[in-house]
Amino acid sequence: MLSRVAESLYWMSRYLERAQHTARLIDVDLQLRLDQSLESSTGRWLRLVEALHVPALLAGNVDATRLAHTLTFNRTNPSSIVSCIASARENLRHVREQSSSDMWEQLNRLYLQMIASPAEDEWVLRSHVLFRAVQDGAHLFQGITDSTMSHGEGWQYIQLGRFVERTDEVAALVATHFSRLSHPANQPVEGADYLDWVGLLKCCAAFEAYCKAYSAELRPIRVAEFLLLNSEFPHSIRFSVESVHAGLGRIGELTERKVTQPVRIAGRMRAALSFSQIEEIMAEGVHFYMENIRNQCTQAHAAIQQIYFDYPVESALAS
Amino acid sequence: MNTAMNASAMTLLKTLSSSGTVRNAFPNYELDESYDEMFSSTGIPRDHYHALYRTLLELPPEELRKSQQAADLSFLHQGITFTVYDNKEGTERIFPNDLLPRIIPGEEWRKIEAGLTQRIAALNLFLKDIYHEGHILADKIIPRELVYSCRHFRREMRGLNVPRDIYVSICGSDLVRLPDGSFAVLEDNLRVPSGVSYMLANRKVLKRVFPTLFRDYGVCPIDHYTSALLAILRSLAPVNSAGQNEPSIALLTPGVFNSAYFEHTFLAQQMGIELVEGRDLLVHDNIVYMRTTSGLRRVDVIYRRVDDDFLDPITFRPDSNLGVPGLFNAYRAGNVALANAIGTGVADDKAIYAYVPSIVKYYLGEDEILPNIKTYLLTEKSELGYVLDNMDKLVIKAVGESGGYGMLIGPHSTAEQREEFRARIIAQPRNYIAQPTLALSSAPCFLDGGVEARHVDLRPYILFNGSVTLVPGGLTRVALRRGSLVVNSSQGGGSKDTWVLRREIEVD
Amino acid sequence: MVYSIRHVTSFVYEPAIRESVMEVRVQPRNEARQRCLTFSLDISPRANIMTYRDFLGNTVHHFDIPGRHSQFKVTAQALVDVQAVPAPTPGAVGSWADLDSMVASGDFSEMLLPSQFAQSTELLRELTAELRLERSGDPLERMLELNHAIYGAFDYVQNVTSVDSPIDDALRDRKGVCQDLSHIMIAIVRELGVPCRYVSGYLCQRDGAHDRSADGATHAWLEAFLPGPGWVSFDPTNDLVGGERHIRVAVGRDYADVPPTRGVYKGDAESELSVAVMVTPAEAPSSEEITPRTVLRTRSPNRAGWEQFQHEQQQQ
Repeated sequence: MLSRVAESLYWMSRYLERAQHTARLIDVDLQLRLDQSLESSTGRWLRLVEALHVPALLAGNVDATRLAHTLTFNRTNPSSIVSCIASARENLRHVREQSSSDMWEQLNRLYLQMIASPAEDEWVLRSHVLFRAVQDGAHLFQGITDSTMSHGEGWQYIQLGRFVERTDEVAALVATHFSRLSHPANQPVEGADYLDWVGLLKCCAAFEAYCKAYSAELRPIRVAEFLLLNSEFPHSIRFSVESVHAGLGRIGELTERKVTQPVRIAGRMRAALSFSQIEEIMAEGVHFYMENIRNQCTQAHAAIQQIYFDYPVESALAS
Repeated sequence: MNTAMNASAMTLLKTLSSSGTVRNAFPNYELDESYDEMFSSTGIPRDHYHALYRTLLELPPEELRKSQQAADLSFLHQGITFTVYDNKEGTERIFPNDLLPRIIPGEEWRKIEAGLTQRIAALNLFLKDIYHEGHILADKIIPRELVYSCRHFRREMRGLNVPRDIYVSICGSDLVRLPDGSFAVLEDNLRVPSGVSYMLANRKVLKRVFPTLFRDYGVCPIDHYTSALLAILRSLAPVNSAGQNEPSIALLTPGVFNSAYFEHTFLAQQMGIELVEGRDLLVHDNIVYMRTTSGLRRVDVIYRRVDDDFLDPITFRPDSNLGVPGLFNAYRAGNVALANAIGTGVADDKAIYAYVPSIVKYYLGEDEILPNIKTYLLTEKSELGYVLDNMDKLVIKAVGESGGYGMLIGPHSTAEQREEFRARIIAQPRNYIAQPTLALSSAPCFLDGGVEARHVDLRPYILFNGSVTLVPGGLTRVALRRGSLVVNSSQGGGSKDTWVLRREIEVD
Repeated sequence: MVYSIRHVTSFVYEPAIRESVMEVRVQPRNEARQRCLTFSLDISPRANIMTYRDFLGNTVHHFDIPGRHSQFKVTAQALVDVQAVPAPTPGAVGSWADLDSMVASGDFSEMLLPSQFAQSTELLRELTAELRLERSGDPLERMLELNHAIYGAFDYVQNVTSVDSPIDDALRDRKGVCQDLSHIMIAIVRELGVPCRYVSGYLCQRDGAHDRSADGATHAWLEAFLPGPGWVSFDPTNDLVGGERHIRVAVGRDYADVPPTRGVYKGDAESELSVAVMVTPAEAPSSEEITPRTVLRTRSPNRAGWEQFQHEQQQQ
């Protein structure tokens, strides 16, 4: 497969995952806001802004509604939802012949829906519908991809992009949350803070799954264990890292390359997550552990780039 | 049932014939001085159109309209679109397709085939000659400066040998039918002719819309085009390449912004070859490689849909980033084959076109089977004078352009446009030619719920590797605007399927 | 006369670039009046050097450097034997009518049609009118007059024009270097119906010769085709008729056909190009280090994809 094509599929998938993540975060925030005092909602808002790496210039804007609008619609902000969907679409457009036409149609539909952006005054009332549409649209795209595209090398880059992005996003969110909110690890959360912890789980689409595993009683240690180490929940760090590792292994076979740097990095992360105890992580500091994950994620990305997408020509000529 | 319907149609037909007009059946069908594909000048359907004519009389327009909508939708969904550059984003539009086939009897086709075969053989010899010894120039058949001043003459090709002496592997020649019913060549496209994907797509749609009619007519198949093209590309693979048994072939596209991008993806997919952009390729020590996730892979043959000018910034336009630096040297060294060869555009220069009959005579010793259109060369003083005096009657074309750009259609032009062209011609007479305004033949089209006549031309696609493969048919292009003579997709044209008949039609 | 030539071209990039591809035309021609006795080309960092002859018979070397590099250097050395040709004298040359009939029967179109740098412009027509040049009398005399007139009409000034300047840049202020003056004269000569071509090469400077063109650089002049002697060299920069001191490297329609170096690379970098040329009458190539006389610094335009670098050295 051409490197350019692989890279486009990978980035297409990362952008779409990012759009979906941002949509979920803002949606959850705007919903919870209705039930919270201004003070606690502002605190959560600041954490959200931090987790999304919003540029300082924008973050100074205290009007949450307006900022949410910027994060959603602003085309000059490359991480806004609309920008991410546009970038995903542009990437797919360049490799259309490698995807199924149903995939293109779905992503194009989502894009067209988003650029018909509602006027600033009224949009927030309908925002839930809009964020829902982003998530549904992305889920639909994923379903179409899985059922209409051959699960060959190209499909593997799509998987890879999604889970590399997800690992990074969830790690950033969890890190911010645990560094800003202190609560005894093994005590049930109650009172005003409760909604904040629900919010964290919802931001990872994990509230219902958590309740099934632990009941609705929220304890920081359990929330951390679920989001980090659960091997079955598709938004947990462990699940994401395992998917990255599996994808890289498969790509290695398909491209007839020996064990490569990205597989080694993902393998190391995977091993650490499978054998870690949550108590150790809590003792070490969730924030610290997450930063470590994010660093390794960056390394894995760089290695993927270096091996498959933009390798130095002279090394390829030598081999 | 079928017989009964035919019988009733025959009755109707007789009524029509006796009244001597087609208007009763198709009130908006206008016959003018040009040749009509379906009706004779007296309004009687030609033998090979009888069956279609009957079908049209029987078929409720509503049904055709539904088929048309289904066809449009399927084009849109398949992404059979082209890009229009009238705004900065570039909008994608479907290339309008007309449902009614254009039908060509087998015997007419055989003449076309012979004519095109002769023409491409001669043009290929001409290209080899001018890039080597230049006998035709030394013998003063064609003025030397006319060749050297062609915008698409590539002097870098002089003395360079191309694989198997094949310069033109793929050619699309535009044919028109004159009022007397004979075919003539309007222009040849020897650089990167496009449109073949529409030919294939149209056929697919028509087989669905008129399955019975299609079968009863005995239409020659065209589906083997892509495999024939692949075979041609394979045959160009350099013998010294490592993968001699399984040459690695790529289609080089300018990218997603090119108006023919759909066709590039379509052909690459159909042939199972890699679709690459310039940045996917690199040249090292005169070998071309593509960057893949498994490392660098050698490329042996490139079906390039990028113009000469943009192929290699070292040899041609330095500002091009569509091409591959060093590609020309790899080509010169024989390590990669290009289809078409570089520099073929000199043979479709509109001034050289005027000499094609002489070229055929010179190399093959034969008279041309398919005639040219009368062409005035403005470098000749006498012809220049005539043209400047008769601009309102003539069609003036820029010699190095294609796709209907840089053209003045005299009878449809304003005085202002004519003045503008006059100034340009006087400044650079070599850059223009003039031809009489042609009455292109007309063919039935399904428009606005009715059948109307529109002007058409025909672009067959010729594959050449010493011998010719001509899939029977081609793209019939339609000027969809009433009275218009411009069939180019960029100028509001559409297309329709072309049915070449396997056997002669028996008149019942 | 035997000359030793050393021509060094160096490129420095900050930051490093990759995937350089380059063509060079630096090997002196081998032909009747000039024999290239030895030639060597050295590229650093090392690259596989390939070669071909272009359609005008010039030898072209080319190579690519795929890996990252922040500089490279092309060193050409040659020993060339140039034979003195007696300058043609008026009277020994055929008439305009002879010229026309030779042109009509030969393959001269390439050197008669306008080319990228040598084409008529409004300013050129003004100059031609000023010179009151006509197709009359002896063609050689007219050429000599023209050569002298251009020498007189233009000041030799470096750095007012660049490698890709159209002739109007030099015509506007009547200033330029040998590349400009040659293009101007070629355009005028072709207008007269005389085939004319551009020559890239070296001039061996000589004390007391009053040469205007810069020492330590490549040189350019032109050749006009005259009935009788054939191609005759004219050097309007120095008011010379080509002789023993001109060493021919490449001929073309104009500079665009024969740049000493031409290439592209990938990367966004600031580049510096320096050129050093030394021509000495000698029996053996000199090995002494020479200091560059021409240094050119440029910033590549900030855009993605291929960058064309300042591959081309203006001929001075």
